[in-house]
Amino acid sequence: MPNHWFWGALTIACVIWYSTITIYVAIKGAADIKNMLARLNTEKERDARES
Amino acid sequence: MTNFNWLLDGSIVGLYLLVTMVAGLMVRKYVGKVEHFLVAGREMDVYLGIASLAATEFGIVTCMYTAQNGYEKGFAGATPGILMALAMAGVGLTGFVIKPLRDSGVMTIPELLEKQFGQRIRWAAGVVIVLGGLLNMGVFLRTGGQFLVLVAGLDVRYLEIMMTALLVGVAVYTILGGMLSVLVTDFLQFVVMSAGLILVTILILMNVGWEKLVTTVETSYGTGGFNPFVNPTMGWQYVLFNLMLNTAAVLTWQTTIARVLAAKDTNTGRKVYTRTAFFFVCRFLIPGIWGIAALATLGPVANTLEAMPLYLSTAVPAGLMGVLIAAMLAADMSTDSSYMLTWCSVIYNDILAPFRKRPWSERKGLFWNRTIIALIGIFLLIYGLWYPLKGDLWTYLGVTGTIYLASISVLLIACCYWRRANSWGAGASIFVSAAIPIAYLVMEQVPSTAGLAKSIGPYYSGIATYLLSAAAMVIGSMLKPRAEGRPAHA
Repeated sequence: MPNHWFWGALTIACVIWYSTITIYVAIKGAADIKNMLARLNTEKERDARES
Repeated sequence: MTNFNWLLDGSIVGLYLLVTMVAGLMVRKYVGKVEHFLVAGREMDVYLGIASLAATEFGIVTCMYTAQNGYEKGFAGATPGILMALAMAGVGLTGFVIKPLRDSGVMTIPELLEKQFGQRIRWAAGVVIVLGGLLNMGVFLRTGGQFLVLVAGLDVRYLEIMMTALLVGVAVYTILGGMLSVLVTDFLQFVVMSAGLILVTILILMNVGWEKLVTTVETSYGTGGFNPFVNPTMGWQYVLFNLMLNTAAVLTWQTTIARVLAAKDTNTGRKVYTRTAFFFVCRFLIPGIWGIAALATLGPVANTLEAMPLYLSTAVPAGLMGVLIAAMLAADMSTDSSYMLTWCSVIYNDILAPFRKRPWSERKGLFWNRTIIALIGIFLLIYGLWYPLKGDLWTYLGVTGTIYLASISVLLIACCYWRRANSWGAGASIFVSAAIPIAYLVMEQVPSTAGLAKSIGPYYSGIATYLLSAAAMVIGSMLKPRAEGRPAHA
């Protein structure tokens, strides 16, 4: 059936893409959290100084 | 009989819950303003956004219904996921709607609508969004509990207690940390959820085999199991309705849009959309394959919704079972926390707006936000868990979703791109998009009109809702006289 290759390729793409993005996001996302909290901390300290 | 091992799998689940709760509670100290609580101070970057959006939009309820789609429709059941991915990629690449929305600096969709349509429409849109969203979310807890009970082989009597404890845990860190706790726990939950989904899928592909999955779909559904256009339960109307539904969801579903609004700038919001788009194919296809594997292994079952968890309870070995349950708990917790916070943001920002004649202090604002989340949690417990829902769940989810999505997507597009749009058009659009799905439901229940409702079907009714809601916006706006230099809502 001509549709089979499409679903087969899509399944393989899902497993490969999802595995890759999970590892990539796990690493880069942790850095994002660290930077976000650092920026919020700076803002908090600035607000405390101003008030 | 299930493969769940209390010592091994229970320890994995317990460790996951402990780490999540600690992480969720640790970031509460950074919350000093309402803006921190609702949109994380608009400091979210791309990869945290991807993790949060993916984790939020995949709950146990999603897994259950997408697996049911696979069981009942074969591979063609993943069509809505492909359509949603296309919609999300298109919106992310072009910035359609989300660019003007993020550029405006608002915290919710109704806040932007007020600029074009006035305060009354902002309030009405807020009510429609919260009503549709909360009723939609009302069924999440019980469905999640059903999955966990079946997979872990627990006594069904413990379902309510187990899900109540889970909701209380989620509510505690969401109340204290708001969007900051949601983002940090979403990140952890994304990693755990993804690991579980990938490992179980690989196990299924190795144990059942691709050939058997394909043969099962061929035997059960023929060509219709691979092509939605020739599937007797789907057809072009199913594809068109799902294209409209998913495009509207991408543009206006408040939990999705919340990630754009929390992004540190517009480009970050667009990147989150573009790079998360393919996840929505995985979101339908991966549980769909689990559903097909259940069909291949168990054969026909009385309740197709329970086929996938029943299959997994014996197919997944001890050890991996703990990862699977932790993954599904992660999926459910991230969805619950984000949804509670999102509907809270609309209640506080838009529905309560008329009661804030003067701006509230940050302290008072935070107090009310936290109180609203606690009240939403209580509503979910009473409505979603302790009150057993009657009737067809799919119809229920479709109706509650369409009431909100049809009108708000039309309002938002008109607000961003059509200067002539005004409050008459907006009001007419909200009315039409609520009236058609409700009328369809009533027709289904009344014996004299049930036949007519069946011949129309849910997909034609859904398509009509979107088209007529747009027509109402155009006609209503054209009918209202507009003086030069006056705002559209005046």
